[in-house]
Amino acid sequence: MKRMLRLAWVIPVWFIVGCGDLDKPVNEVVKGGEVVVDLSGDVIKSGLIAAAVAGIDATTTVYGYKGYKIPYTTTDEEGNSVEVSGLMVVPTGLPSEVVAGLGLSMVSDSHGTIFADTEAPTAIAKHTNGADGSPIVFTSLGGFVTLQADYIGFGDSSDHHHPFMLKKSLVNTTVDFIKAAQVFALNNDINLNGQLFLTGYSEGGYTALATLERIEMEGSMDVTMAAPMAGPYDVNRTAFGIFTQATLSVPSFLANVGYSYALAYDEELASVINEPYASKLETLFDGSYTRVAIDAELTTVTTGEDGLFNPVFINQFFTNPNHWFRQAVLENNVHTWGPQTTVKLVHCEGDDVIPFGIAQIAEATMNAYGAADVSIVPVEATLGLSDPLGHAECAAMAYNITTKIFAQTRAATIGY
Amino acid sequence: MTPIQKIITVSALTSGILVAGGYKIPEQSLNSMALGAAYVAHTTDADTAYFNPANMSFLDSGLSYIESGITLAHLPENTFAGVQYLSGIGGVPASGNSETENLPIPYFHYVAPAIGKWRYGVSMVAPAGLTKRWESPVQKTFAEEFTLQNVELNPVVSYKVNEKFSVGGGLRLVYSMGKVYSDGSDLGVPYKREMEGDTLALGYNLALAWRPTSDIAVGVTYRSNIDLDEEGEANLYLGKVGQQYSASVSVPIPAALNIGVSKTWDDRVTVEFVYERTFWSSYENLDFEYASAIQPGLVGSFDDPKAKDWVDTNTYRLGVTYILNDRLTLMGGYAYDETPVPVKTLSYELPDSDAQIFSGGFKYQQTNEISWGMAILYDKKESRTLALGENENGIVGKFTDGGAILATVGLSYRF
Repeated sequence: MKRMLRLAWVIPVWFIVGCGDLDKPVNEVVKGGEVVVDLSGDVIKSGLIAAAVAGIDATTTVYGYKGYKIPYTTTDEEGNSVEVSGLMVVPTGLPSEVVAGLGLSMVSDSHGTIFADTEAPTAIAKHTNGADGSPIVFTSLGGFVTLQADYIGFGDSSDHHHPFMLKKSLVNTTVDFIKAAQVFALNNDINLNGQLFLTGYSEGGYTALATLERIEMEGSMDVTMAAPMAGPYDVNRTAFGIFTQATLSVPSFLANVGYSYALAYDEELASVINEPYASKLETLFDGSYTRVAIDAELTTVTTGEDGLFNPVFINQFFTNPNHWFRQAVLENNVHTWGPQTTVKLVHCEGDDVIPFGIAQIAEATMNAYGAADVSIVPVEATLGLSDPLGHAECAAMAYNITTKIFAQTRAATIGY
Repeated sequence: MTPIQKIITVSALTSGILVAGGYKIPEQSLNSMALGAAYVAHTTDADTAYFNPANMSFLDSGLSYIESGITLAHLPENTFAGVQYLSGIGGVPASGNSETENLPIPYFHYVAPAIGKWRYGVSMVAPAGLTKRWESPVQKTFAEEFTLQNVELNPVVSYKVNEKFSVGGGLRLVYSMGKVYSDGSDLGVPYKREMEGDTLALGYNLALAWRPTSDIAVGVTYRSNIDLDEEGEANLYLGKVGQQYSASVSVPIPAALNIGVSKTWDDRVTVEFVYERTFWSSYENLDFEYASAIQPGLVGSFDDPKAKDWVDTNTYRLGVTYILNDRLTLMGGYAYDETPVPVKTLSYELPDSDAQIFSGGFKYQQTNEISWGMAILYDKKESRTLALGENENGIVGKFTDGGAILATVGLSYRF
């Protein structure tokens, strides 16, 4: 009734006035993407100071942060084309001799494990229009262009399942995004200097090392340096280590491995994960739940009748070298080759999820394969910390160290 | 909207302005403008329909009354000299001036002939509104533009109880358009807001008129509170990137009680005193709401409710009407008008203060049926000083100037 009254009254007024609704926001238009964040260095600095970030004060050089959501096409585990998205963050406010002359160096930072689509890089940027995560370190403090692929299953491909810890599709997504970003930069007059650094934390560290392997194998581009952080490079040993433990500190991680691998290798999920958990996983991993919410729906008991994993599956994994999962994890190892690019394996000795020993194994294995320059950067020792850092606490420290390593390399090669 | 459309909008919707405490506009006719709205007990023309519909019973029962006119409002700039304290930044120099506004405000009143003891009428007026624009960096951060435009259609009836007493009342249909713009870019604050909305709201008004003797009139009117629930869209920017949301915000047109007493001498001189109580305490906060979650970085500025805690106010009005001869009537008025805005919640969109109102005008009877006139009103705002720590919005300094000068031209027709 109220609406009808309103209409009856408004129509003649509108007839006279003829004005319309509020126009949509006027945002910058770019070719092949969408501007989702555009903040000045002063604004970023104010935020960092307000957040009491260590080492940041009024004298700190902080660059602006311009984030683009870029849609592109990649290929999933089965070879199907998938429309995906990624976030490219470009520093603003750099000296003109860098922007127009020397050009910008690029860091591909593969993000760590996420479950909810709202946690994807482009989703965060598009929702908040604010700076978030590693691009603050790499871009606003380091002056690098930062790339973060959403991965299949997030962002524009949120209707797909995320192929967790599956090398082929993670690498496809990352390599295709690097190429898409290069095209985007060309189309939008962003002056790149050709330097490419690869990094990532946890699942992202795994992805970064796998991406380096693909790039070296294809020879499609040059990588300046890779610094994977806290990645489960040896999936086989990681699985052995975890399955021998009675309880799981983060059951969602392992449930997602079981779910993703069962789908990718066309195995029955119930043969991997016990009920009632197996039936829940499709819903829990549909991109609407966070890790905390998923963990609450699962058990922390590793296996047994009341455990997360089917005891027959666990027994077969340990005893049958030809078991499909044994073969699958071996296929998805990313350390059994010899990189010719410099690789820094940044890892905390106190890591409680991906043990430091995985980095040691990766280093030794890659060197055995004839790597040119692979070494471990132990985070606590590098920073002079006496207490070990767990997987979660380690991340910020690892990113700071990696940014410094990349910046030193850039300064030595490019000159800024 | 194009500039031409904006001009048409202002004319058609009788753009509201600040000419009384808060954003209420009591003066809506030639007589009321000339008398400073001391015009409740002794109302004599078509504007009776609006100012005291019960008095329609005492107009010539066989006649129709029509009045139409336009008020040209000149709003001088507000001047602020002082400092603005900003969270995380501290005090920044904030001296600046608001924009000068010049606006036309039309009105219309009609009273039909009596039907037995009943009589009806209708008014179209702008009962409330404001427009305040700032271009100075600090003020623009909070109130680049705050505009509230209203038009009210007010059909009324009266019932003549006896020769000395009458009652009346009516419905208030208010169409309202609101606009809120703010932009912190000149100050380095990465927040910007563009919001526009509209609404149709209903209220009522009641009135009584008592004429104990032929020379004394008493009038009481009450206008109900109307909540203007403006609904529309908001563009919110963080840095240079914005998103659009469905948004709403509610502001009241407060209830008001007017009590007027008039005395007439020799059928030539009438003095009227009006006490007005405006129930501004209904304006407790300004709370923008959005259909979906906005950018987290903007919640503190654009989503969290802003306390207003306005207070009820008193206004005292005195008007004098002098019939010089058969053709010319002179009028004058004075009012003291309290502001509802407390020091602690005062902000740039309405830096209101107590005011003295001076008014005057004339009406000329051109023929038996037609009269016309002119009136002018000066709303003189007092300066307002906010000491350190007094204001929740971080304003420290002094507001001066502002106020309003209004000129009305009206034409009446009786037939």
